[in-house]
Amino acid sequence: MTVVTPPAGRAATRSRFKLGREALMSIGGALLVGLVLAIIGLVLPPTNYIVFTLGFLVFLFTAQALAWNLIGGYGGQTSFGHATFFGIGAYATALLQQNAGFPPVIALLVGGVLAALFSQLWGYPLFRLRGFYFAIATIGIGEVTRLIVLNPLRNLTGGASGFTIDAAAGSGKLEQYLTGLGLAIGAFLISYWVRNSKLGLGLFALNMDSEAAETLGVDTTRLKAAALAISAFIVGLTGGIYARAYLYISPESVFAFPVSIAMVLMVVIGGIGTLLGPILGALIYVVIQDYLGAAQLTIGARTLQFRDVQLGLYGLLLALIILFEPAGLVGLFRRMGRRFRRGRGAGGDATAQSAVLNQQSEVE
Amino acid sequence: MDFSSILPVTIGAILLAGLYATMSYGLALIYGVMRIVNLAHAGVIMLAAYTTLWLYTSFKLEPYLAPLIVVPLYFLLGMGMQRLIVRRIAGAAPIVSLLLLFAIWLIMQNLAYVIWTGNTQSILRPYTTRSIQIEALDLTIGWLRLGVFVAGLLTLIALQFFLSRTYLGKAIRATTQDRDSARLVGVDVEQISMIAFGIGIALSALAGSLFAMILPFNPDFGRVLMLKSFAIIVIGGLTSFVGIAAGALLLALAEEWSVGVLGLQTSLKDLVSFSALVLVLILLPNGLPALIGRMPSWRNKPTRSVSPVGSASPTGGGPK
Repeated sequence: MTVVTPPAGRAATRSRFKLGREALMSIGGALLVGLVLAIIGLVLPPTNYIVFTLGFLVFLFTAQALAWNLIGGYGGQTSFGHATFFGIGAYATALLQQNAGFPPVIALLVGGVLAALFSQLWGYPLFRLRGFYFAIATIGIGEVTRLIVLNPLRNLTGGASGFTIDAAAGSGKLEQYLTGLGLAIGAFLISYWVRNSKLGLGLFALNMDSEAAETLGVDTTRLKAAALAISAFIVGLTGGIYARAYLYISPESVFAFPVSIAMVLMVVIGGIGTLLGPILGALIYVVIQDYLGAAQLTIGARTLQFRDVQLGLYGLLLALIILFEPAGLVGLFRRMGRRFRRGRGAGGDATAQSAVLNQQSEVE
Repeated sequence: MDFSSILPVTIGAILLAGLYATMSYGLALIYGVMRIVNLAHAGVIMLAAYTTLWLYTSFKLEPYLAPLIVVPLYFLLGMGMQRLIVRRIAGAAPIVSLLLLFAIWLIMQNLAYVIWTGNTQSILRPYTTRSIQIEALDLTIGWLRLGVFVAGLLTLIALQFFLSRTYLGKAIRATTQDRDSARLVGVDVEQISMIAFGIGIALSALAGSLFAMILPFNPDFGRVLMLKSFAIIVIGGLTSFVGIAAGALLLALAEEWSVGVLGLQTSLKDLVSFSALVLVLILLPNGLPALIGRMPSWRNKPTRSVSPVGSASPTGGGPK
């Protein structure tokens, strides 16, 4: 892992010639996919499990993974604390809707905004920290938030026993599906826009070498804060949508450490810093969970449920990806594609995938 | 507020600090030599606790003898981990080693879950509850806690001796301070990294083994301890093992006092440590020594401290 790929170089140098076409294709493609999926949702009866349960989850996780990727992939700031945004979005939406009688749309948006505000609360002080320190501090933030919601705020949040939303106030299958789809498309478009914007360029720059970026006049703290706020807003919205769909939330379900882990896993498995990676990661995550959810393996007298070993399997997958294909599945496909096209000249170029995982550290 | 409990609570905190310090040395040593935060630390502490339990249930090995087997075993495991896996990502960006060691932690946690289930376990021996009563001061001190504290103290002394008097220890310090220079003067940096990683893992395992004797544990109990260890090494300023011991004492005092003296609910004890972690990183990223260093009048001539990390600082400005 010694290759240093210039990350946003392509976006910067080739944008004059290709951005127009590529932008049209990406945005148009996303909207087309969205339209087709929306029509599928409208046509099928809402009892269809694959579309309305799995599809909904894929959309939700896609939005989360894309959002995490903004700060964790583009900006290289590994956050293990994104569950806080999910939890805040979920609780804010549930409480505002149930206790204050807000209309769902307003409750959702306020949830997202609160998550974004909360992200700035810890983002600003923590952005001074580098690499490991930032990552560990975010674990700390996640735990502190969870414990505060669990105990001192239990009168508001229901504490360990959780919070139930009236079924009448929840969302129907079709509404879940369409809001999830809309959010996933929105997250994709935002990711696309960020990648090709000055914000994205700055994030790639500070990811590669923070000090060099600062020397060149990149206000790293402000850019990281902006990326984190956008990221938190999207994750907050997914929290609200989740709460309205599942009607029951508790600190251990929405603020839990595994919620944060899931976002990291999906992005790294799919391809960190890429546009399609998080989507692939989310898809695979949901499919694995669903298809293997009921699987079991009997060894001797013991029967292993898949859900008992899933974290270990994800760990194994994560380790293999980091050791052998740091660019994730997208990197794997790209490598296969290059091999396939070899002979037709060097056609395949690296996407604005930052070399997060290839980059040399500052120490060595 | 309960002032009558200050003395017992303080003594309890000091005894706990011995254990906290022991669990933090490994993290600091590995960070020093390899510049990576060993997230698998959490997994090692937890697995070592289960290994201790397993040695007791399967071989009737008394838990207080378990470290004699656990420590060498994990030393070898650590060296193997370094040689086979961790070495491959040496020098890569922080996120790479974070995620890799995180993955190893997940695997370890799942392994424990599969083998020993998610239930909370504890090791109970006739001597578990035996204690010393000091009537005059109204004190009760568990023998086992005292023993664990002494083990922690001995570990500190042994480490200081090892790092200041032996060739291997000096080579580890040299590698920590400046990897390239160490290589220049003929230190086999690769091998030293492997050995230091092994020692770091062995220290974490020792802590896990000691924990298993006095506290209940489950497959997830390492995470809390890892965050505490990290808070401790940051408070300690990453400059010396004595500093880490001081950091451990501070954290243990903060935890125990907030519950025992200030009357915080026991369930919020971890909140104190996690808040301490975040606050220390924000307010005092270079730890206590930096704070003390800012008060020139206090400053004597610098003592010879064993530096596990050189001048690396969390906010950059470390060695390039």
